[in-house]
Amino acid sequence: MKPAPFDYYRPATVEDALAALGTSETAKVLAGGQSLIPAMNFRLSQPDLLVDIGGVEGFDRMEVGPSGVMIGASVTQSRVMASDEVANAVPGLRRALHHVAHLQIRNRGTICGSIAHADPAAELPALAIACGATLFLQGPAGERTVDAGDFFLGPFWTDLGEGEIITGVHFPSEPADTVTFLDELAWRSGDFAITGLAGALATRGGSVSGARMVSFGVSGAPGRMTGAEQAVLGFSAGDDGSAVYGAAYEDGADAVDDVHATAEYRREALGALAVRSVRAALSTNGNGTGV
Amino acid sequence: MTLDSPTRINPMIRHRASHIGRAVPRREDRSSLLGRQRYIADLKLPGMLEVAFVRSPEAHARIVSIDTAPALALPGVHAVFTGADLADVGLFPHKILYIQPVSQPALAVDRVRFVGSAYAAVVATDRYVAEDAATLVAAHTEFEPLPAVADLDQALAADAPRLYDDWPDNYLVNFPAEKPEVTQAFEEADHTFSDTYVSQRQTGLPLECRGVLADVHDGYFTVWSSTQSPHIVRTTIAEMTGIPEPKIRVIAPAMGGGFGTKTHIYPEDVVVPWIAGKLGRPARWLEDRFENLVSAVHARDQRHDVDVAYDDDGTIRAIRCKAYCDVGSGEIFMPGTATVFVTGGVLTGAYDFPNMEVHHFCVVTNKTPSGAYRGFGSPEGLFVMERIIDRVARLTGTDRVEIRRRMILQEDQMPYVMHGGGRVDSGSHSKGFERAVEIIGESLERVRARYADDLDVRVGVGFTNYVEPTAPTYHLTTGFWAGGDSATIRVDPDGSARVGLGTTALGQGTETTAAQLVADSLGLDPDDVTVIMGDTDRAPYGLGAWGSRSAIVMSGSILMAADRLITKARNIAAHLLEAAAEDVVLSDGNFHVSGSDAPTVSWSQVATSAWVRTLDLPSGMEPGLEMSGYFNPPELEHLPDMSGKVNAAASWSNGAHAGVVSVRVSTGEVKLEDYVVVHDCGTMINPMIIDGQVHGGVAQGIAGAMYEHFQYDSETARPLFASFMEYLYPTCSEVPAMTVEHFETPSPEQPLGVKGCGEGGTIGPAAVVAGAVDDALADLGVEIKATPVTPSAIREAIREATAGGGER
Repeated sequence: MKPAPFDYYRPATVEDALAALGTSETAKVLAGGQSLIPAMNFRLSQPDLLVDIGGVEGFDRMEVGPSGVMIGASVTQSRVMASDEVANAVPGLRRALHHVAHLQIRNRGTICGSIAHADPAAELPALAIACGATLFLQGPAGERTVDAGDFFLGPFWTDLGEGEIITGVHFPSEPADTVTFLDELAWRSGDFAITGLAGALATRGGSVSGARMVSFGVSGAPGRMTGAEQAVLGFSAGDDGSAVYGAAYEDGADAVDDVHATAEYRREALGALAVRSVRAALSTNGNGTGV
Repeated sequence: MTLDSPTRINPMIRHRASHIGRAVPRREDRSSLLGRQRYIADLKLPGMLEVAFVRSPEAHARIVSIDTAPALALPGVHAVFTGADLADVGLFPHKILYIQPVSQPALAVDRVRFVGSAYAAVVATDRYVAEDAATLVAAHTEFEPLPAVADLDQALAADAPRLYDDWPDNYLVNFPAEKPEVTQAFEEADHTFSDTYVSQRQTGLPLECRGVLADVHDGYFTVWSSTQSPHIVRTTIAEMTGIPEPKIRVIAPAMGGGFGTKTHIYPEDVVVPWIAGKLGRPARWLEDRFENLVSAVHARDQRHDVDVAYDDDGTIRAIRCKAYCDVGSGEIFMPGTATVFVTGGVLTGAYDFPNMEVHHFCVVTNKTPSGAYRGFGSPEGLFVMERIIDRVARLTGTDRVEIRRRMILQEDQMPYVMHGGGRVDSGSHSKGFERAVEIIGESLERVRARYADDLDVRVGVGFTNYVEPTAPTYHLTTGFWAGGDSATIRVDPDGSARVGLGTTALGQGTETTAAQLVADSLGLDPDDVTVIMGDTDRAPYGLGAWGSRSAIVMSGSILMAADRLITKARNIAAHLLEAAAEDVVLSDGNFHVSGSDAPTVSWSQVATSAWVRTLDLPSGMEPGLEMSGYFNPPELEHLPDMSGKVNAAASWSNGAHAGVVSVRVSTGEVKLEDYVVVHDCGTMINPMIIDGQVHGGVAQGIAGAMYEHFQYDSETARPLFASFMEYLYPTCSEVPAMTVEHFETPSPEQPLGVKGCGEGGTIGPAAVVAGAVDDALADLGVEIKATPVTPSAIREAIREATAGGGER
């Protein structure tokens, strides 16, 4: 279980990083390496060049402003989790990161790396969609931004172009009337989700006034649950949840079978998760605003 | 009874404090915990080359051609060997005459029968280059795929592709059975039912994968192998290669677990030494985790088709069980055939149940060969028995505890001969169960209260009562070896002792317990005892560690050697004390005349006379102070009698397990909330180590009950796993804190009354978890019939049970 031969380069600037990526068609960006290195050891990934962005100037920035949190490409998950400032601005981030793997992995793994890797069962891509995050990309053709909701195209497949890298991600501040949440089922603590759900719920007068709900681990990519988002409008604590369950179950129509669970199981679990996480979000004191 | 094997400590030793029975700290722990153990991966020899094996990506195929030239052209590659190059190496032994012969060469030649089968070996300067070259060999191998057999049904179909052209079918073992009394019971019983129970495919999953390092000097081979049985590795290498056995030294260094998987003799054990000999340089192979998952033996994978006859009052009259074991390709030595016989033999657990008819079948498929794993057939058997008991209880409205009370073995039934010949000499079966019921009852109330307000959560309890065969014969497993083992003890001039043992250490604390045994047998302190194991040049011939045998075989052989040593030492001491030998006793390491504290002669003085100042010895006495003992456990049988019965284990420990689960109906999430083990392995040598064995065993039992599962594509027979992403083992987050209590019912027949304790923990959890989930979901009519019990499986069972709106 050793990787195929590869070259390694650790640039100091984003320009050097992009230039290096341009020299090879199979070059890969190395951030935390928590998914890439195992894939290379299995020879599932055989890049001829690794461009380690850990030393790129400015990629380690983590800034909290009035509009939200800007997280640079080399910022680790542990660092984000540890920041009270971040937790105040976007409470859902810390909550979600509790579900991401284990401490040792979060110490190396980065927020942007997980988003770029786009594992269909990973928490951070779904959370980015639910939060309405914006991705900052830079490539041979210059810089651009993409809404997280438009970024994930399939399993390990994103809108990233040839030679393009994520330089940072911006999570908007959680509005006062909104609760961001993430819940998942995994057979063991720290595993990728068998079925997961990230969401942002706006409430008014004790019932749901707006919702963004994103499934993950269910099919080939994280996806908006359009049926559940409609069904949940007006939901309040006393409701029996059957409409939300049914809509979420239908949202899981493209669920997959694998060694861990059947597609039918994933659809049922998505329904149950939707009901229980909406209930929990309603009873949460959210962003200190009350519901 | 062996003629001169003592069963207790020599009465001339007057102990102030005995070491046996005390929680002596493990002497192995310090270096393990500090990372200072030396495993095979830590060993390096000058000029050492690294080996990578090329493994079949096909489940079943002919090898048409292998072009090794591109791999050989890679810089750093020293050699590439295919099966054909090993023409001077013989086949793996075939010694069990009643099974179909599997002709297995050291490397697959012409045909591969499972994904992971090694068919070539690459030797290079380092493992990176070796794997680059292995990739090239694989890319330049042409296979002609053959129809694959992925499971039992496919293997047993009338038109099934055959794995071995010269066999009539795919049965490696085909032993139907018929018992007239069972047939009669079915005619007389009030009711019958038929059902099928399945135990999934798993493996022992040691923390340290396998590894082999070999060096040849002056025609003398030194082989380091991560094996549980170094002497058997040596004997097998000699048999296959023709190298004289004394010219082979096999060393099993520090080991990160084996759990049965390292009892087998693998292709790499033979090929790596052969490479070292061929190239004249040290060669090493370290198994990576992918290789471990596809090429170290698998286990379990049994299906049981049962018919049950029972009466209205819950009496089970008879069981007929067709036990099928999917043994994969069967290409392993020793073959994986014995487990299903253990399953059949122990299926009745700790219950008095003679009316059992078991048909035994082993079937080959295009999957990894299967073999030993902690529990060795017992968890599969107990799962079946407890499932049947729970179902009869449900069908007849009988309480699940009460029905077990009626069946469980009682003290006045000892010795009890089980349906298959197993002879249980003693135990605490009934009182152990009552204690487990008592403890778990309190736990059940606590857990019920915890979830009282959550309507989605149901709580249930499950039970099992097992007997654990220990120190079994190896003859039914290998067709060759038997079941005894050896010890050699030497007392050196400084008065400290060195014991060489035929058993081995794989992390279970044997060095500590052996030192306790030797210390008490010679009146020494454990710190004065050095323990040598796992080295065929330094330790006497023995069969290694497996089958929960070390406690019994060490106790017996150490007592024998110590007794002989004491007899000689007493004569020397008497001579030095100018006293009669029968008046001399040994107190706290000093010999003196009984009744007077002085003068004394120390072990050091005796040993100095024996080895150094031999002029001080009694006239005519041969110098030296080293003695051996080879212990054959009494009552252990190696061959079945005319009726097919055999007491294949020296002793039978026992235990009761019970557990509480919570199940979330909407998602099938299941949590093992509490677990109780009431355990009895006879005399306890070291209670702390026994607790550790129980804890680890239960964890592996939980792995089988709820998590680990090797799955294969049903058409191609290719594995649907490559890593721990697919093969989930429980971590410390998933294994609950458990309550472990002991009864201590000494064996009246084995030395010191010890019985053995390595596997009991693993036997119970599958039966307990299934029973508890059934109980939790009883009002939905759910019946668990297969492991692992995952949330997906639970939801499926709920859907099936409630289909058509029917709560039963």
